[in-house]
Amino acid sequence: MTRWSGQRLVVAAALGAWAAAFWFLFASGRTALYLSTRTSWLVPVGAVLATTAALGRLATARVRAPEPPEASLGLGVTLLVLPVVILLAMPPTTLGSFAVSRRSSFGGVSGVVTPDDFEHGPLTMVHIAAAEGSAEDMARLRARAGESVTFPGFVTRRPETPADEILLTRFVITCCVADATVAQVRVVGVPPGSIADGAWVEVTGRLFPIGDEVLLVASDVVEAQAPDSPYLTAY
Amino acid sequence: MATPAVRPRPSWWIYLGGLAGVATMVRLLADRDVPWLENLLVVFGSLLVEALPFVILGAFVSALIEVFVPAAAFARIGRLPRGLQLPAAAAAGMAFPVCECGSVPVARRLAQKGLSPAAAITFMLAAPIVNPVVIASTFVAYRGRDTVAVMVLGRLALGFLVAMAVGWVIGAMRPQDLLRHGAEPAETAPEPGSRSERFFGHLAGDVVFMGRFLVIGAAIAAAVQTFMPQSIVSGVATMPVVSLLAMMALAFVMSLCSESDAFVAASFVSFGPAAQLSFLVTGPMLDTKLAALYLGTFGRGFLRTVAIAVVAVTLAATLWIQVLFG
Repeated sequence: MTRWSGQRLVVAAALGAWAAAFWFLFASGRTALYLSTRTSWLVPVGAVLATTAALGRLATARVRAPEPPEASLGLGVTLLVLPVVILLAMPPTTLGSFAVSRRSSFGGVSGVVTPDDFEHGPLTMVHIAAAEGSAEDMARLRARAGESVTFPGFVTRRPETPADEILLTRFVITCCVADATVAQVRVVGVPPGSIADGAWVEVTGRLFPIGDEVLLVASDVVEAQAPDSPYLTAY
Repeated sequence: MATPAVRPRPSWWIYLGGLAGVATMVRLLADRDVPWLENLLVVFGSLLVEALPFVILGAFVSALIEVFVPAAAFARIGRLPRGLQLPAAAAAGMAFPVCECGSVPVARRLAQKGLSPAAAITFMLAAPIVNPVVIASTFVAYRGRDTVAVMVLGRLALGFLVAMAVGWVIGAMRPQDLLRHGAEPAETAPEPGSRSERFFGHLAGDVVFMGRFLVIGAAIAAAVQTFMPQSIVSGVATMPVVSLLAMMALAFVMSLCSESDAFVAASFVSFGPAAQLSFLVTGPMLDTKLAALYLGTFGRGFLRTVAIAVVAVTLAATLWIQVLFG
């Protein structure tokens, strides 16, 4: 006669919890809060792998001798399930101004825009990230100085930032949020006191790369909704 | 005689209560603006969402090896001279395109099946660097720069060199001393039964075993990313030896995936190619989440040995590159 193994059921439940978390991220579109578009495939793959592992463990959980869950397994399983609880309980959250202060030393991501892309097509904040990560790309961006652009981003300020300026900021990620680097343009000509730190805006204006920084002379600044994919993908 | 009913042990209720408490706390704090906590949780979540599929994939491969590959196959490899085993193990890493977290369960299983510690560790350290996906991502990150050849070939060569050097050092270790004893939960113990029963037993056991250390490592890495500004290393960019050590330290605390770290390294424009290479070679072999995995998987002294060997060999090699290329 066989019976359910408590030990194996607990492990199947832990694997099932991760499967549920991956399926939840996939179905809710929250993958974009953690991974870039080039690694987002990991979520459905993780969901399938975790589901297979959980179902496989469940299908082999009938045993002849009793196997109650051991206390020693409890801590390991709890640690494994803890991130699932956090992922599911946490409302949609993204990196913000706090992260900028931690990551501002190494701005930009090099090699993500080809020279051809720099010469043709509309400029985006990914071009800014590339220029801030490489002197060659900054030189290419200078060739398009004065061009009119519209960039969405969130607002940050440094203590020394004048009242009529903001730093329009985006994070560029390659694989996951842990590798995020900062892409930032200095926007001048903003009505003082009109926009709070952290707010998402869309700025239209003319772009001027000067030295190591990129200046955007604003003609229009409007508040905007945070995009579904808050991070730009490097490549 | 009636069998007494088995009641859940009190500790399980404590664990469940703890999880419920964490969920409640996260919800309550979400209504207040706590930027550092948001940053911590987002980075923690992203590290795990990216790394765990690779750990499960590694556990699948590990379980396949356990159930379907006879131990005699590894014993035959183990009889080869170490001078042949190490390059072969490093080259085998080229066929395993996963991040560093996925190679740990495979190396652990290979060692359990009788592969020599030197070969298992060489494979584990080389695979995340020398696989084609990582080489391609390094090329893309540096394309268009004068240093592209130095970075791509340098990373490949140093990946081989450092992995084999550490494997050589570990080779002095007895096989029974490589893996940590007494740490595995009963779930990971070998099970009798059909192949599918054994396969899923090993698969589940490996995920539970590795997963908890990955969670601890990701939590530490997220905390360091949250509380330590990256600017503390930028002041040493032009200092010859210090810049190499600083980039190794940064790689350790950032705990990036080996398929993405080249894009980040390439943005450290104030550091020269040698310092960027030290970042790219050290990170996939030694970072915060890997340290937690190593401590849980391998025996006493393993982490210390690997840390000393990786840092020493990488430093020596990148010093030469610094002399030649800057």
